[in-house]
Amino acid sequence: MEKIHGKAWVAKGYVMSFDMILQRFWTAPVDPAENAKWVMAGVDEDFNRENGFKDRCYAFIVAGHNFAGGGKSIEHCITGLMGAGIQAVFATSFARLQFRNAINYGLPFITCRDMNLHCETGDELEYDPATGTIRNLTRGTIYESVPQAPFVAEVAAAGGLMNFIRQRIADGTVDTLR
Amino acid sequence: MGMTITEKIMASNSGRERVVPGELVWADIHTVMTMDYLGKQTFRAFESLGADGLFDKDRIICVSDHLVPPPTPEFATLLNEWREVVHRYDIPHFYDLGRQGIAHQLMVEQGHVLPGRISIGTDSHANTYGAVGAVGNAVGVSDAAVAMATGRLWFRVPESVRFHITGTWQPWVMAKDLSLHIMGMMHWNGHLIYKTLEFGGPAVEALGMTGRMTLCNMTVDLGAKNGIVAPDAVTEAYLRGRTTDAWSPLVSDPDAQYDAVYEVDVTDLGPTLSRPDKLDDTAPVETLAGTPFNKAFVGTCTNGRTEDFAIMASILRGRKVRRGVNLVCIPASTDVYLECLREGHVEALVAAGAAFETSSCGPCAGIHTGVAGDGDVILSAGNRNMKGRMGSRNAQIYLTSPAVVAASCVTGVITDPRSDDWK
Repeated sequence: MEKIHGKAWVAKGYVMSFDMILQRFWTAPVDPAENAKWVMAGVDEDFNRENGFKDRCYAFIVAGHNFAGGGKSIEHCITGLMGAGIQAVFATSFARLQFRNAINYGLPFITCRDMNLHCETGDELEYDPATGTIRNLTRGTIYESVPQAPFVAEVAAAGGLMNFIRQRIADGTVDTLR
Repeated sequence: MGMTITEKIMASNSGRERVVPGELVWADIHTVMTMDYLGKQTFRAFESLGADGLFDKDRIICVSDHLVPPPTPEFATLLNEWREVVHRYDIPHFYDLGRQGIAHQLMVEQGHVLPGRISIGTDSHANTYGAVGAVGNAVGVSDAAVAMATGRLWFRVPESVRFHITGTWQPWVMAKDLSLHIMGMMHWNGHLIYKTLEFGGPAVEALGMTGRMTLCNMTVDLGAKNGIVAPDAVTEAYLRGRTTDAWSPLVSDPDAQYDAVYEVDVTDLGPTLSRPDKLDDTAPVETLAGTPFNKAFVGTCTNGRTEDFAIMASILRGRKVRRGVNLVCIPASTDVYLECLREGHVEALVAAGAAFETSSCGPCAGIHTGVAGDGDVILSAGNRNMKGRMGSRNAQIYLTSPAVVAASCVTGVITDPRSDDWK
């Protein structure tokens, strides 16, 4: 797995799922390109225009507790971030519905405690998926993240849960999942 | 070493003798619920998997609850498309307009969830199912599609946290007050994320199914994976006549391991509210008493049951909702509505000046039947109060119990139902 470089957006408060995708888009089709146009529109007034978040070309989000909380099960939060170019989210903790959706879509949601307190928006980060190490190249700091479960990598390698299951339905092994 | 009730359910539904927290299992799903808002997407995702068919169409529960009756042409069209999909799959358990209700109420009330089994739904408050000793879990569209095709879904076995609730409930204090009290006690700081919250102790055993459903319902808003109450005589009596399926009463072992145990004595617990915008910013009613508001709402999967309207009727019978306050009441299901009619609660509340709407999620989802406008201050017995939840982002929502809503509707300001202010 190759290291990922890019710019980070650092959340200053709670980032809630219903602000990531505004209500008028909740019944829209799940489509990364479309969902990315208005993703994060309710999180920050600067993002509240078409491609407002995407155009800033962030590769990472750094956040505190309960990232993507608020209890929405909509998958647009994840596909919107992916469509906007986000390659990993580092947070102290994640809300479980979107944590689950992120695993199912293969977007790394990486638990890394309090990193948000020591980074600023615009910092250049380097994430090594093989070791879980995150380097803040702007500040010269290093963070060790919580390792992901092997299943998470397996689903990501398959291209997400839907593909993971599709392959097993196609080859007749889906019943062996326990 | 013993197991908790949720660990036992995860083990017995995945062909294992035992499981430990953190373990990943593929578990059998008893029922999958999906509804008008996301149901079409769910079936479309299912179709893309290439499965031979649904794993069991009797165990796919379809509900129209967010969009009935449809408030806009767009939602009417979405509802039509949803109905077309459900009819095409010939789903026997389809609760549509006329026999509708909020999905989570119907899942429990119509016997679609069983103690010791796992049920999932494409709506966050599926945690409600824990009231009968089931694991109820909210999932996304992909997860529901996978379960519809295979009858299974992956789970990470959660750590368990026990809330041991003791003492005697004060008059007019409800399970909702305990939910909000715990919200204020625990906050959204990660303590409860992914965990199973097990509610037990004498003050929980004293609750009927209504209170247990409220408690489990709001565990999703605490960030938990699920909430659960061990099945007992109350559960047995409730389920009798609602299901003929066999079930086994799994309960936690005395030596089960908990991540944490919290004790709460309800003897001193009073009515509790969440201040606008943040669920965990809670306050006892005394602190907020006297705050004016102009809209009130009681309904939802959290507090739309017969006992909720009964306590309101006992306050508002023979009294009037104060001029300038709009009170909207929405029963959580058609059966609840009928029960409230038979018991006289609807008549008492309508005579007092409440507006009754047919069963739906209503303004809790910000869709219809009384949404919030700019400047509104709303007293709601629902479950969420973030900006824009009920409509305008320029409205303020206080969350509380049906008893506080009713007493406050008499006076026009937030009022302690234990006081004489509304009498």
